[in-house]
Amino acid sequence: MKPLMLQGHERAITQIKYNREGDLLFSSAKDNAPNVWFALNGERLGSYMGHQGVVWCFDVNWETTRFLTGAGDNSLRLWDVSNGKEIGKVETGTSVRTCMFSYSSNTAVFSTDKRMNTNCEIHIIDVRNADASLVNQDPIMRIPVDGSKVTSILWGPLDETVISGHEDGKITMWDLKMGKEVHSVHDHAASINDLQFNKDGTHFVSASKDCTAKLFDTDTLECLKTYKTERPVNSAALSPIMDHVVLGGGQEAMEVTTTSTRVGKFDARFFHLVFEEEFGRVKGHFGPINSLAFHPDGKSYASGGEDGFTRVHTFDPSYFEYQFDY
Amino acid sequence: MPAETVKSSWADEVEDESNKGPLPPSTEVFENGFKIVTEYKFNDDDKKVKIVRTYKIEKRTVSKSIAARKTWPKFGASKDDKPGPDPATTIVSEDVYMHFLSAKEEENLKMEEDALEKLKANPEKGAVKCRTCNGEHWTSKCPYKGSDALAKVNMDKKPIGVPGAMGDKAAAPQSKYIPPSLREGANKRGESMNMKRDDTLAIRISNLSESVVESDLEELVKTFGPISKIFLAKDKVTGNCKGFAYVHFRYRQDASAAIVGLNGHGYDHLILNVDWSKSQPINN
Repeated sequence: MKPLMLQGHERAITQIKYNREGDLLFSSAKDNAPNVWFALNGERLGSYMGHQGVVWCFDVNWETTRFLTGAGDNSLRLWDVSNGKEIGKVETGTSVRTCMFSYSSNTAVFSTDKRMNTNCEIHIIDVRNADASLVNQDPIMRIPVDGSKVTSILWGPLDETVISGHEDGKITMWDLKMGKEVHSVHDHAASINDLQFNKDGTHFVSASKDCTAKLFDTDTLECLKTYKTERPVNSAALSPIMDHVVLGGGQEAMEVTTTSTRVGKFDARFFHLVFEEEFGRVKGHFGPINSLAFHPDGKSYASGGEDGFTRVHTFDPSYFEYQFDY
Repeated sequence: MPAETVKSSWADEVEDESNKGPLPPSTEVFENGFKIVTEYKFNDDDKKVKIVRTYKIEKRTVSKSIAARKTWPKFGASKDDKPGPDPATTIVSEDVYMHFLSAKEEENLKMEEDALEKLKANPEKGAVKCRTCNGEHWTSKCPYKGSDALAKVNMDKKPIGVPGAMGDKAAAPQSKYIPPSLREGANKRGESMNMKRDDTLAIRISNLSESVVESDLEELVKTFGPISKIFLAKDKVTGNCKGFAYVHFRYRQDASAAIVGLNGHGYDHLILNVDWSKSQPINN
C-alpha cells in the first residue's frame, strides 16, 4: 500500500479522527491549528485557526457540522466544520484535556487538567444553540474528580453515562442524572492514553502507558481481553469489519532520539481481537504513534505520530485475504 | 487522486541557454482520466527544473452530504490552495507492506533449532566426528585435547601409504620451540606442506553432470578404497560442477579398480569417462 502522508502540522500529532461517514479526516497537533483533510485523496480542506496553545483533543458531531476542540490555552472552542469559523468558546481555569460530543450532539463533555489548587473537573455543556454567548453559559453539570486526572473520555450508551480513563489507570463510569460515580475498575497500572469504541459501542478498547491495551464491556466495565506489547501504548482502535485491533505506541518522547526506527518500535501493530495475538505490523513513522483511527468502512486506517505526520493507509487485498491460523 | 507523483530528476532539468530567463507557465492537461500538471521552477542550483505530476481522476458515487462537503471552499491555511491535493501538504509516500507474523514460521524455526539440539544431545548418531582423534564427538570436546597423547594417537592411526614428515615428528627434539608443523592440531598443515602428492595415484573422472557435488562424488568412489583427496572442478560464479574431477586414492590398486569399475558407468543420465590423470609410465 502507498500511504498518503499528510504534512500539515509543525509539531507532534495529538489526535486524529474520521467523521462518521469517513470522507473527512481531522487532525490536531501540539501546534495551535487543527486541520481537516479529504480522507480519499489527502487534500487539505482547511484549518481551524484561533487557539493559542496545544490542541489536546477534538471531536466532530454526527452530521459533520460542528467541530469541538480543547486546548492548552485554557479554552474549549466550537467551530463550524465547513468554513473554519469559531462559533463559541468556553474559558476554563486549566487546559482542556479531553472533549467529546454526545451521540445526539445535544450536549458535549470535556474535562480540565488538575493544576496547583484547581481540581480536575468534568463539565457537561449544552451545544444545541451554541453561539458567541457560550462563553457566559453555565455548564449543565460540573463533576469534580478527586484523585488522578482524566486523560480520556467517552460517552456511554444513550448519553446516560460518561466513561473516563484516568492517569493512574482507573476507568470510571459516571451517571449523569445523579452526577455520581457508578462504578470504577482499576485494570491498568499506568495512565490511560486513549479510549475508543467499537462500531456499535458495546465494547471499547483502552490504550495505556503500562504497555497493554485492554478490551472492556461498555455496560459492566469488565475487562475482556488484554493485548500486551513491550512499550507504552498511545492509541488503540477497533476495526469495524474484522476482528482486529490496531495498537500504536512507542516509548516516551524523551527517549525517541536515542532509538533507531529499524528496531520497529514505531510500527502499528495489528492484534486479533479474540486471540490477543499479534499477526501483522506496518512500518512508517519516525516517532511513536500518538493516535490511530480506522476508517468507518474498515478498508483503510490512519495514524498520527510524534513526527508530525499523519499517514493514511489503504489496506492491500492481502490484508483481507489473511486468515488467522488457530 | 494522486496516482503517482513524478519527482524531478536530472534528466528533466531543462537544457536552456537562457537559464536565468522567466519560467514557462505551468500547464494542466486532461487526458483520458488523467490530469497531467507540468510545472517549471528553479532548483537549489538555480537550474530550471520541469516537474510533471500525474493525477488519476476518479469518479465516485457518494451520499448527498459527502458530495456537498466536497464542494466546500477551502479555508484557513489552505485558503489559497488550488483544487486537488497540494504537494506541499500531501505526499504519496513509499510503498509499505503489512508484515504478517505467521505462527507457522515461528514453529518451523523452532523445529530447526530442535533438530540442532538433538544432534548436540546425541553425538552417538555418528554425524559427529572429531577432527583430531576421529572419535564420535565434537572436536572441541576431544578428550585428547591439549595432551601429548594426541600426537601418538594420530600417528598410530596414520596409514602406511601416506608419505610425509611423520618420522621427523617423532624424532623431534624436546626443545622449547616447536615448529608450527609439529604443534598439536597442526597435523593437516604439516602433511600438505611437506608431502608431495603422488599424482600417479590420481584418476580423472569426466563427463559429470552439472549438478554433481563433492559429497556425491565421494559416495561414488569411496567403495573402491581410501581416498586422500577429491577435487571437483566448479564454476567460479555459479558453483556448478564443470564436468570433471580428480580423485587421489591412497593405494594404486584401488585407483585402477576405480578406473575399471567406473569407466563407462552411467551416472546421473551421463556415461562417465574415467582414466588415470597422468599418462602412466610404460614400465608400470
